[in-house]
Amino acid sequence: MKGFQAQELNNIIEIDRKKCKGCDSCKAFCPTDAISGKYGAVHRVDSEKCIFCGQCLVNCPFGAIKDTVDTVDTVIEKLKNKQMTVVATIAPAVRVAIGEEFGMEPGTLVTEKLYGALKKVGFKILDTNFAADHTIMEEGSELIAKIRHYILGEPTEHHLGALPQFTSCCPGWVRYAELYYPGILPNLSSAKSPMMMAGPLAKTYGAKEIWHVNPEDMYVVAVMPCTGKKFEASRPEFASASEYWKHHGRTGHYPDVDTVLTTRDLARLFKKLNIDFNNVEPFTDADNPLAQYSGAGTIFGNTGGVMEAALRTAYYVITGKELEVLEYTPVRGLKGLKEASVTMKDAKTGKDITLKVAVVHGAKENLKPVVEAVLAGTSPYHFIEVMNCPGGCVNGGGQPINPMGTSWLGNWKAILPWS
Amino acid sequence: MARYDYVEKAVTVSRREFLGIMGVAGAVLWTGAYAATDLVQDRSKYIKMRAQGIYKDDVKAKVRQSHNNPGLQQMYSKFAGKPLSHLSEELFHTRYIDRTKLG
Repeated sequence: MKGFQAQELNNIIEIDRKKCKGCDSCKAFCPTDAISGKYGAVHRVDSEKCIFCGQCLVNCPFGAIKDTVDTVDTVIEKLKNKQMTVVATIAPAVRVAIGEEFGMEPGTLVTEKLYGALKKVGFKILDTNFAADHTIMEEGSELIAKIRHYILGEPTEHHLGALPQFTSCCPGWVRYAELYYPGILPNLSSAKSPMMMAGPLAKTYGAKEIWHVNPEDMYVVAVMPCTGKKFEASRPEFASASEYWKHHGRTGHYPDVDTVLTTRDLARLFKKLNIDFNNVEPFTDADNPLAQYSGAGTIFGNTGGVMEAALRTAYYVITGKELEVLEYTPVRGLKGLKEASVTMKDAKTGKDITLKVAVVHGAKENLKPVVEAVLAGTSPYHFIEVMNCPGGCVNGGGQPINPMGTSWLGNWKAILPWS
Repeated sequence: MARYDYVEKAVTVSRREFLGIMGVAGAVLWTGAYAATDLVQDRSKYIKMRAQGIYKDDVKAKVRQSHNNPGLQQMYSKFAGKPLSHLSEELFHTRYIDRTKLG
């Protein structure tokens, strides 16, 4: 197959030939036109074109599209092995959706229950929200370094990419850029996604300072609202922790993130292990520094969330003061392309810096013009957030399948316009 | 004559009645279409509900900016130093691949 590195998963989304009715719904959601098949005939996914976002999967009216990578049983085995330290890293969007698999209403926030259930089956926790905060520090510092260098003309000690800077948290977007717009790659933030920061952090700092275990005896499970994350974790360059330990007198080669479970997969794991999710004892993990997270880390799950989180920190770093109103509404909501500009007084030079930002979600409809403007050199922005799925990660391809699609009548709250 | 004489009973609808019937039929169709599009729209309401759940998590958080996360500050002081430090670059930054050039 073309366009893959060795070891990479190359077939994650598949259409079941027996269930497909050829209705073309999937094509309407596919951002890369990777699905072929005439109307009425069985469709198929071309993995060379596919970015594994899973939008077709969550929107198929016949449930004919499946995620082929199932590691639930492997994870259960690792949990039973008492020599192993199994760490779960849970993405922001999982905690507002996993309840749906246990009969709760969409959007029910179940962080403590989720922690409780994870603890009960034997996971240690490094919240992806912690890693999201970490991403803001790295990605935000990179952006500020670029602005200081390219706009204010200050010298830099870093090897910097180009402006405007694109976010790089979304594996669908990264693969999309790598496949279709390689010219844009210097503009992608070099910061890894929160999941890929969580992995090496667990196996270095976590192993050494928090859990006091050997990194080889760790198994990092990322729980993500996303099928594309399965692909991302399989990229061969993501073995930074084992590289780090090689310089510190240890041997062994292992990936930073061992496996990825989607929100649906984790719900299945709990059911297999007979966890009564609704009545599980809540747990806050208050003593674990790696389970601490800020509100900025959690909003990563929404479109505009990375931008809002970055602005909160960029404002502080540039002006030396905290933002008074933290809710930055111009980047919220479901408009396809959201733009904003923020003027800040630079505490170091006294000059005003105007940061122009844009937020794109729903790659199929809204992404192309933004990317092409950057390539043509006409883009007015400094920082652009891209999330492939409409609405962001909360509507990712690994989330519970449309809770309102099949039983409208059972969900009054979903139907009544005023509720 | 007149044995088979048959005069069809004329169905006469006055202009006024015709307008009335059309009005009622239109209203019925309009309401139906409106309700149907509403239902289709609400199929995606779960996106908004999940998004609200996330914003709720933000509002109730004790700390609301990444740089104020105490666990993260501890990680930087004990381990990585600061953002974009040598160790941070090694562990937390990456590069991308032009996949059009991969065989």
